[in-house]
Amino acid sequence: MELLIDGLKKAIEMILSGDQEVYAITWLTLKVCLISILISTLIGLPFGIFLGLTRFKGRRILLLFINIGMGLPPVVAGLWITMLLWRSGPLGDLSLLYSPTAIVMAQILVSLPIVTSLTCTAFQQISDKMLLQIKALGATKFQTFIILIKQLKIAILAAIMAGFGRVIAEVGAAMMVGGNILGDTRILTTTIVMEVSKGNFDIALALSFILLSVALLITAALTFLQQRKRIS
Amino acid sequence: MNPLIQLKNITFKAQNKTILDIPEFQINAGEFLGIMGPNGAGKSTLLKVVSFLEQQTSGEILYLGQVIPIGNAPIELRRKFSIALQQSLLLDGTVFHNIAIGLTLRKISKAVINEKVEYWMELFGISHLAKKNALYLSGGEAQRVNLARAMIVEPEILFLDEPFSALDFPTKIKLMEDFKGIIETAQTTAVYVSHDLMEINYLTNRLAIIVNGEVKQSGPTPRVLEHPNSSTSSFLNEWKKFYPLAR
Amino acid sequence: MLRKRYFAVLFAFMLLILSACGNTETKDAVAKEKKPAPKAAPTEMILATTTSTQDSGLLDVLIPMFEKENNVKVKTIAVGTGQALEMGTKGEADVLLVHAPASEKAVVDAGDAINYKRVMYNDFILVGPKDNPAGVSGDDIKAAFKKLADSKATFVSRGDDSGTHKKELGIWTADNIKPAGDWYVSTGQGMGQTLQVAAEKKGYVLTDRATWLAQEKNLDTLQIVVEGGKDLMNIYHVMQVNPEKHDKINSKDAEKFVEFMVNSKTQDVIESFGKKEYGQSLFYKYTE
Repeated sequence: MELLIDGLKKAIEMILSGDQEVYAITWLTLKVCLISILISTLIGLPFGIFLGLTRFKGRRILLLFINIGMGLPPVVAGLWITMLLWRSGPLGDLSLLYSPTAIVMAQILVSLPIVTSLTCTAFQQISDKMLLQIKALGATKFQTFIILIKQLKIAILAAIMAGFGRVIAEVGAAMMVGGNILGDTRILTTTIVMEVSKGNFDIALALSFILLSVALLITAALTFLQQRKRIS
Repeated sequence: MNPLIQLKNITFKAQNKTILDIPEFQINAGEFLGIMGPNGAGKSTLLKVVSFLEQQTSGEILYLGQVIPIGNAPIELRRKFSIALQQSLLLDGTVFHNIAIGLTLRKISKAVINEKVEYWMELFGISHLAKKNALYLSGGEAQRVNLARAMIVEPEILFLDEPFSALDFPTKIKLMEDFKGIIETAQTTAVYVSHDLMEINYLTNRLAIIVNGEVKQSGPTPRVLEHPNSSTSSFLNEWKKFYPLAR
Repeated sequence: MLRKRYFAVLFAFMLLILSACGNTETKDAVAKEKKPAPKAAPTEMILATTTSTQDSGLLDVLIPMFEKENNVKVKTIAVGTGQALEMGTKGEADVLLVHAPASEKAVVDAGDAINYKRVMYNDFILVGPKDNPAGVSGDDIKAAFKKLADSKATFVSRGDDSGTHKKELGIWTADNIKPAGDWYVSTGQGMGQTLQVAAEKKGYVLTDRATWLAQEKNLDTLQIVVEGGKDLMNIYHVMQVNPEKHDKINSKDAEKFVEFMVNSKTQDVIESFGKKEYGQSLFYKYTE
C-alpha cells in the first residue's frame, strides 16, 4: 500500500519535474501506438467493411484466420517480425530490427486482426435492403462507404479502441523487436519490465501510472467521440 | 405515348431459376403505373431492374430510346430516379438530415437544401419532427419521412414497393390520400408495386399484372380490373371478393 | 449539424497522428540527406550484452561516452549471455559483452567472434535466507552447493541459459550433482526477477554481486552466505562478430568498441562506477 502511494507520488513528481527521459519515453510510446493503430485502422477498416459486405469463396476461411489472429500472442508476432527483420532475414537489408518501425510493425500485426474482425462483424449486420436503399438515394460507391461509416461509428470506434488497448498494453513484441534501447525504442511498457527487473519498483509503479493515464486519455477521447449526445 | 423507359426481352435469373421473362414493357412519362401480382411473382425484382439497381441477365433497357449497357448505368442516370420501399430504412440522424440526404449526395448547396427540406416536410406534414432522430419515429411518421426523402430530389420516376403495407389502416388511408395529392401536384411519373387491389385501384391509372415473372395483362387500371383475362382472373377475382370495385 | 463537428474533431485527431507519422519520415529523410555533409550521420552498431551490465546501470554511463567519441549510435540489446552469443553466431549483432568464458571460447574457436578481450570482473555470490536453514557459509561454493543438495534447501535457478545460469550449472557438474526435485526452482527469468522469487520463496540463489548490490534494498529476507572463493570469479569479455562470416556487420565501430572497453580511461570509469552509491565497486579492471 505504501509502495502504491510512493509510486503515485513519484509519477506526479516525474511529470511535474519535467523529467526529459520520462517525457521522451511517453512521447515515443504515444507516437508508436498511435501510428500503429492509425495504420491498422486505415487497412483494417476498409478490409473489414469489404469482408462484412461481400460474399465470396474462401471468405469464411479468411475470417477464421483473422479471428484466430485476434488472439495472436504478441511474443509470437514479435518472433515473426524479428525473423523477418534479421540481417540474415528477408528484410535484413532495411536494417529495421531494434527500431521504432519494427515495434510499429509488430503492433500492427497484433491489432490489425482486431480492427478488421470487429469492423467486419458490424458491417455484416447491414441488410441488403439498406444497401439498396442507400444506392437508390443516388450514392456513389464512395458515398455509400462514407454513409455506412457514419452509421456504424459506434462499432467502428469500439473496434479502434479494442485495437488501441491491445497495442498500448503490448510488451512482449516491443521488447523483442525493439530491444528496449534508451532514446530509441524504449517505450513505457518495456521500461516498466526493465525497472522491475532492476528492482526499482517505485519507478516501475510510477511509469505504470503514466501509462494508465495515457491509455485513459486516448480511450476517453475515443469514447467521447463514440458516445456523443444522441438526438432523441 | 411517350416512353421514358422501355424493356426489350428482359430476363432475370437467379440460381438457374427464371424470375423475370418480359419481352416488351414500358413506362410512360406522366403515368402512375401499378404493378400487381401474387407474392413471389417477380414484382420487386422488376422494380429493381428498371430502376438500374440490379442488372438483368439478358435483354435491353432503353432510357429515352437509348440503350443502357447492362450493369453500367451512369450515376447521373440513377440519380434521375428515387425509390421508397416497404421498410422506411432511415439513417441514424435527424429527420431533417434524412430528408436532405439525396440532395447532400448530389452536392446541392446548403441554402437550397434548407429551403427544399422545409418545403417537403411541410407537404408531408412532418415539419415538427425536423430535429427528432429518425430512428425513434412511429411507422406512419417514418414512412412520411421515407416518401419525402424520395420526392425531394424531384425524380423523373418515383419507384414504390409497397410503401404503405406495414401501416395500420387509418394511418395508411390518411397517408395515401396525402401522397396522391402530392404526386398529382408534382406531376411525377410513378411506378407502384403492390399486391393490394385497394391501393392499386385508388392510386394508379395504368396497371400491369405479373404472374410467374411474366406480364400477363396490362392496360388502364379500371379496364384491367374489370376485365381480367384467363391468366389473371383467378388472382384478381380473389381480391374482388373483398373489394367491390367502386371508382 | 452537431455530428459534422464531431467528425471534424475525429478528422483533426487523425491528421495529428498522420503528422506525427510524417515527422519521423521527414526526420529520416533529413538524416539521409545529411550523409554526404562533413558531420556525417551516426553509424549504427548493435551491442548484444547481458542483463547484468544493463540492470546495474554501467552501460548507461559507458555507452553515451562511446557514442559521443565515435559518432555512432549503439543499439544495446540486453539479453542472457546464451542469447547474446547466439546473436553473435547468427551475425545479428556487431559486438558482444558477455560473461561465460567456457561458452565464449566455443564461439571464438568456431571463428564466429574475433578480437576477444578480457574487460572486467566482479564476483558471484551465494545469497540465501537470513535464517540460513542449510547452514552454509565460508568461501567454498562447491561444498556449499553439496550441502544445499543434501539438505534439499530451496534453490532458485535462473534457468535461462545466461552467464550466471551457466556458472551455476558448472558448479553442479563439478560436484557431480544433477539438481532436480521440488527444492530446485527454475525461473527462466532475469537476475532481478530471480532474486525476487528467491526472496519470496526463502531460497538460495547464485547471483552476480552487481545485481545484488543494486537490488539489496528490496530483498530484506536474503543475505550473502558464501562469497570470495576463486571459483566465484565472474569475468566479462568483449569481442567483435567476425565480419568475414556474416554480411552487414559493422566491424569498424565494433573494433573501436573493443578498444574503448579496454583502454585505461574506460577502465577507470568502470572501476569507479557504483562506488558512490554502494560504497564499493560493482566491476573491477581486468584487462590482459
